Amino acid sequence: MVINLWKIKLSEKNNKIRLIQKSSRTFLVTSALLMVLSTVVLFFYVKSLLQTEVEEELFSTEARIETALLENKPLYTLPPVVEIVEVVDLEAQILKDTLIYDPSQDELEEFRELSSFKKVNGQNYKITVRSLVVESDDILIAVVVSYVIIIVLVFLVLFYFNRAWSKKLWSPFFANLEQMKKFSLSTETPMQLVDSDILEFSELNKEVMQLTNKVKTDYKNLKQFTEDVSHELQNPLAIIQAKVENIINGDGLNEVQFEHLTSIQKDIQRLTQMNKRLTLLTKIENNQFVKVKKVNIAKNMGETIQNFQEISSTKINYSDKEDIHVQMDPYLAEILCNNLISNAIKYSPEEGKIEVRTSGNTLSISNQGPKALEKPENLYSRFYRESETTKSTGLGLAIINRICELYRFEISYHFKENHHIFSITF
Amino acid sequence: MKILIAEDELALQQSIATYLQRDGNICEVASDYKDTAYKVDLYDYDIIILDINLVTGSGLDILKVLKEEKKNAGVLIISANNSLDDKLEGLDLGADDYLTKPFHLAELNSRIKAILRRGKFGGDETITFNEIEINTRSRTAYISDKSIALTRKEYDLLLFFVTNKGRILSKEIIAEHLWGDHSDLVDNFDFIYVHINNLRKKMTSKGAKYIKTAYGSGYKFMED
Repeated sequence: MVINLWKIKLSEKNNKIRLIQKSSRTFLVTSALLMVLSTVVLFFYVKSLLQTEVEEELFSTEARIETALLENKPLYTLPPVVEIVEVVDLEAQILKDTLIYDPSQDELEEFRELSSFKKVNGQNYKITVRSLVVESDDILIAVVVSYVIIIVLVFLVLFYFNRAWSKKLWSPFFANLEQMKKFSLSTETPMQLVDSDILEFSELNKEVMQLTNKVKTDYKNLKQFTEDVSHELQNPLAIIQAKVENIINGDGLNEVQFEHLTSIQKDIQRLTQMNKRLTLLTKIENNQFVKVKKVNIAKNMGETIQNFQEISSTKINYSDKEDIHVQMDPYLAEILCNNLISNAIKYSPEEGKIEVRTSGNTLSISNQGPKALEKPENLYSRFYRESETTKSTGLGLAIINRICELYRFEISYHFKENHHIFSITF
Repeated sequence: MKILIAEDELALQQSIATYLQRDGNICEVASDYKDTAYKVDLYDYDIIILDINLVTGSGLDILKVLKEEKKNAGVLIISANNSLDDKLEGLDLGADDYLTKPFHLAELNSRIKAILRRGKFGGDETITFNEIEINTRSRTAYISDKSIALTRKEYDLLLFFVTNKGRILSKEIIAEHLWGDHSDLVDNFDFIYVHINNLRKKMTSKGAKYIKTAYGSGYKFMED
């Protein structure tokens, strides 16, 4: 479950894009689109403008020729630009594009052509005026090219300016984000958020501060509650235990009653153990173990194993015994070794064997077991037990895990060839 | 023996008193700081069982008073607080031992006797019970002046029996005395049988007869 979730989170992260990148990308796409669009619009606009200009010129030339004809001035034709032909019938005016061979260039040139039919002084004429389109095309291209150059320049400048500005603008946000990533429930110091003159950021800061403060207070209350409960439980437990002992030492007891009373003693002891462990967990979480000394884990382990051999029939084989020197609280080192061994004993089958090794920087403990844990991800949770048959408080591994977290030791569990193996790398 | 029990939990206070009175001790009780300070000032006790968290004040202050007035009482602190700092502070202020609640009364009794031995004989005392002799400094035991070789646990067991003579000790109490926090691992208590049987063998028939079973599964160390 946890591993799957983690994978999902990872892939989500891979699909994510940075804010600055995103805004830059959006800017890039819209600007490119606008550039292309505006260039196209400009192209057609200039083109139509130029065409109107050419046509106006054609009409005015034609008008001038007509005036000249009226005044009987001597006329000249200049094919293909001006042609005047006498015709029989009058036809409608034609305005069109046409291709005419230009011998000087040895190619077909595009012309705009206006043919009008006029009756001047009783004679019908067809007046054709043409204008070379090429010229206007050149202008068009020149205009569009210079426009594109300007717009690209503006675009580049804007792009870099925009990016730099965004970075500056969002900098308080990014700084605070880093702070929030570092947020931990157990640290006492409040988060140092950068204030900003931007209203939304300021509001966000305020909300985040309120939220984290609330979470912290809730957490603290909960912790206090656990502490209080375990503390307050001790007096009633002491009373029950003392009374049971007085009854046992009183008169008129039979064997069955004695059995019941000793069974109560056992349960009181379980409660006491649980209480002690809960208190220990809270203390570790509260960072109340500040004494740090050089501890030899291998030596500690040796002593622990010796102690346990007195109580348990489970054989413990300790090999390699290479020294591992660690800076930690000596009491916690003792607890760590104790809990690892007692956990292995609890989950060993009868006549089972436990293998302990310290080599390099790693302590490993393996005990036999019929099958791998069904839910290894719950292993370090409080009160988690794989089998209900074992009488354990369900806190031993949670404590081990807490100690490892505190000193940043790496703890791992795996199942191999019918052995549960825990390794701690210091 | 004159014992003051300074404990604000009345039920616990009474239970402790009942248990200790059976041995013929004189038990006085105090239920708050003022009462305790008053009694400590006025009378002399052999042993003071002192709860650190008295409702109206701290037991640690009582320790300071005892030290100032150079009172010679042995002090056993009982506290609901299992913190090492409290323990060290208590011992620093002159307390002789420290027990965390909840505790077995047999354990309390055993600790009280140890304090008395240390206080009166400077750590060297021989406990004698008929043919049995225990030297608590050299941690050795003799039966009719003949030394018997006991392991560490067997010696602890014998001392626990002798100091709690006449009391019924269940296997739970014995296991917790011998192995403390690890005793929850002792599932079937076979280990106690083994240790007790070994102890009985080593004590020969002369000593073994005092270790008697009670109610089938408990033990009682007593005169024939």
